Amino acid sequence: MSSRSGSRSARLLVVGLVAASLAIITLDYRQGDAGPLAGMGRAAQTFMAPMQQAVTTVTRPVGDFFSGLAHLPSMARENQDLKEQVATLQTQVSGDVQRQAELQRLYDLLGLQTSLDPSAVPAVVIANGLSNFDYSITIDKGSNDGVKVGQPVVTGSAESPRLVGQVVSVTPISSDVQLLIDRNFNVAGGLATSGETGLVTGQGDQDLSMSDIPPGTKFPEGLPEYVFTITYDVGGQHGRYPPNILIGEVSSVHEGSNSLDTDVSIRPAVDFSALEFVLVLQSPTGETSP
Amino acid sequence: MTRRVIAIAVIVITAALLQSTVFAQLRLLGVRPELLFLVTIVIALLEGPSEGAVVGFVCGLTQDMLLNQPKGITALTLTLLGYAVGMARQYIVSPSPLVPTVVVAIATAVGMAFYEVVAFLLGQFEATLTYAVRVALLAALYNAVLTPILYPLLRRIVEGSRPRRVVRF
Repeated sequence: MSSRSGSRSARLLVVGLVAASLAIITLDYRQGDAGPLAGMGRAAQTFMAPMQQAVTTVTRPVGDFFSGLAHLPSMARENQDLKEQVATLQTQVSGDVQRQAELQRLYDLLGLQTSLDPSAVPAVVIANGLSNFDYSITIDKGSNDGVKVGQPVVTGSAESPRLVGQVVSVTPISSDVQLLIDRNFNVAGGLATSGETGLVTGQGDQDLSMSDIPPGTKFPEGLPEYVFTITYDVGGQHGRYPPNILIGEVSSVHEGSNSLDTDVSIRPAVDFSALEFVLVLQSPTGETSP
Repeated sequence: MTRRVIAIAVIVITAALLQSTVFAQLRLLGVRPELLFLVTIVIALLEGPSEGAVVGFVCGLTQDMLLNQPKGITALTLTLLGYAVGMARQYIVSPSPLVPTVVVAIATAVGMAFYEVVAFLLGQFEATLTYAVRVALLAALYNAVLTPILYPLLRRIVEGSRPRRVVRF
């Protein structure tokens, strides 16, 4: 008797929770970023950010070491020797060496900051997305530091800024950055040699794809071809990204069967699994266009 | 009861925290474990369908709130997963210590597939079929590998915080 009424109340409970989930899905669809659910999401992210920061600070050296080990199979394919060197180096990393490296990277960012945009915000990566289908990172700067949704995020040194992604969500103390490799990410790119332009789109765990390149575009033989962000102005609508930020290197070229346009694959210039410091650019003029 | 709620909340927050920081670095062939799936499955296995569904809902909601994606899909998935695992518990008669590992592996794969299908039907799934299958299987494998470590820990916390019931004959 009691077990039967127990299973009935469990069924009722599950029906109630499923209904609540469906209501959340529907509400979120209808209200988008303005609704109370998005607000709750931001509150949850604000709540988590300090803890993520603490955990990342403590575990980064360990994580770096193990991620080196975890990546060994794919690394071996790409460059056995280099990877062994990395693993050896990682085992040798002591606190001092690491601090020195972080200092150097911060100097690099500072140099990049003066050359790119005086009002750029340097930030530390404190978390790395939550789901297997979500390519984003969390950084430790938010609206208190002037970060806004839509601002471009880069990394690297003053000589070679490399594109990381764009800010998609902001709390007072942290921000989420959608990575270049996310399937919803688009950016206008230009080929370095030919100057032809196209639309670069994220492909998840695969290389980026760049489409709408005119047929017959020449690619340099045997030399790497790089893709940079471009700036444009169409009817007063500007690109979101400053020009000449490195997106990546062309890894393969596919001629379309009807040869109306050419698609190329691009390997991103940034190793997203090892990203630690980034820079949020404050300059953008465009509002919605990639 | 309060102790129970706090214990579950600590487990859920810790899982979300670890998944977004440490395990984002420790990937298995590019795939991270789904710790909130693991927590839901293990608690459903220990406590039955009602608690499995509630904990699943809380885990799913936590993950949804921290993602920049339409919210509610994970909550739906984990509610049903918690309930299903809790119901399936009564059919498991094997005393083998491998039971939690096997259940976690199967339930994670099924749950991930369900999540992917729902996200696809709602137009929120951009990845290819190959990637979807690969992630479901690798996440299941990764969760299964973590189960022998995390199951005893979770069981201790869950059983330690279980409210004392009045036994009636």
